Amino acid sequence: MGAVGLSQDKPDIKEILVTVKELLESIANKSKGGERYDALCGAFLLGVADRELDFGERQDESQNGELQQLLGREGSLRDLYQQFCQQVRGGDLDEQWPAAFDFAFKQVIDKVSVTNPHYLAAMHRSD
Amino acid sequence: MTEVSEQQALLDDGVAKLELALKRRYGEAARVENVTIATLGASNRTLLFDLVEPGGRRRLVLRQETVKSEVSPFISPHDQFEILKVVYRHGVLVPEPIFELEPEDDLDVGYVMACVEGETLPKTLLNAPEFAVARQRFAAQTGEIFAKLHAIDPGEVAFLEKVVDSVDPLAAQISRYDAYCEYHPGLDVGIRWLENNRPKDKPRVFVHGDYRNGNVILGPDGIEAVLDWECAHLGSAMEDFGWVCLRAWRFGHIDQPVGGFGPRDEFYQAYTSNGGQAIDEEEIRWWEIFGSLRWAVLNMMQADGHISGVRRSLPFACCGRNTSMIEYDMLMTIKGHFT
Repeated sequence: MGAVGLSQDKPDIKEILVTVKELLESIANKSKGGERYDALCGAFLLGVADRELDFGERQDESQNGELQQLLGREGSLRDLYQQFCQQVRGGDLDEQWPAAFDFAFKQVIDKVSVTNPHYLAAMHRSD
Repeated sequence: MTEVSEQQALLDDGVAKLELALKRRYGEAARVENVTIATLGASNRTLLFDLVEPGGRRRLVLRQETVKSEVSPFISPHDQFEILKVVYRHGVLVPEPIFELEPEDDLDVGYVMACVEGETLPKTLLNAPEFAVARQRFAAQTGEIFAKLHAIDPGEVAFLEKVVDSVDPLAAQISRYDAYCEYHPGLDVGIRWLENNRPKDKPRVFVHGDYRNGNVILGPDGIEAVLDWECAHLGSAMEDFGWVCLRAWRFGHIDQPVGGFGPRDEFYQAYTSNGGQAIDEEEIRWWEIFGSLRWAVLNMMQADGHISGVRRSLPFACCGRNTSMIEYDMLMTIKGHFT
């Protein structure tokens, strides 16, 4: 996790997320229908936020490095994504297809490992 | 006024207008009773009610349009109603179309159809003991329904020619994706693969476009009605096959490709033995990969509805993050790890 809110008192941001997530899960257990579903969705989103704090910065840095190498230029991650997507779609990376595919696959696996790590096949799980 | 009472006032106003719309068509004695709101759908608002007349009572469904956007992937309620009339006439299992809303009804755009009893919740259908027989029959019944649907002369639904998905379905999805100004490397790699592996053109047929677990009403003995015709268009028959087999619609029952219910061979065999064209498994695989692109873009649309404030909703917020899992399915399918 990066240096998020080190000047703040306890509970830290991760503890806050876990606390509210537990509340939503207990509401879901006592509710039905739309309220239960909304509470489960809220708990899911807080789990996503928690994992993003753990992995997000490292994933961004690593992807930025790979894209700079693949595209031969520097830029923000969003700019590099844009370049990558435009070049792939236009066929400009067809000659480097395995490398382009591998980068996209890695980017997707990074996203799923934040959104819902249990969804990944065994070959892509880090646990 | 609180949000809940505002919604109640809107509902009361809608019900009053609905009763006037019914009186206009069925006489002054017509009344509305037992109104319930079904879950808000992605593109339609659905209201269930009883039409009460001196001669008896009938359970009906009002569908009104909720998504109005230039990049909406859904055909108009008017065209949906026209489609219901065509497929009902051909004996496809659908709710009977009753009437279309008119401007003087002051109820926006939409239509009324018969209410078909049964269940649509995917997880209930896949797990509840009372649907054991229906589950067993789903793959073959779907093959029969597709054969009947795809045999309808496309000339009877010629108005679907203008739907962008009828012209070039891949270009239609790309254009919707671009409308959200997001960059998804996984989707663009998928798009490039789809472009480089396009199936050969075939004569186009009338396709449902959104036939899947969740859009079909099942009773204990099997399929009762096919719903949600808002994505209907003209295209390859194999497109409907790819969509119903999409991994997302198996709801965890990944070893049963046909909606989580059954195997491909029963499905394909029922289609061809009921007059359907030859099955092209390689093309169906292409449509499954295309289906992931389409489902990912639909999830982006839902997330955009939340983020833009048009339709604030926690489930729609989750849709934005769900896109990553759909992209994963797509790339794993391209790699040959998922079938």
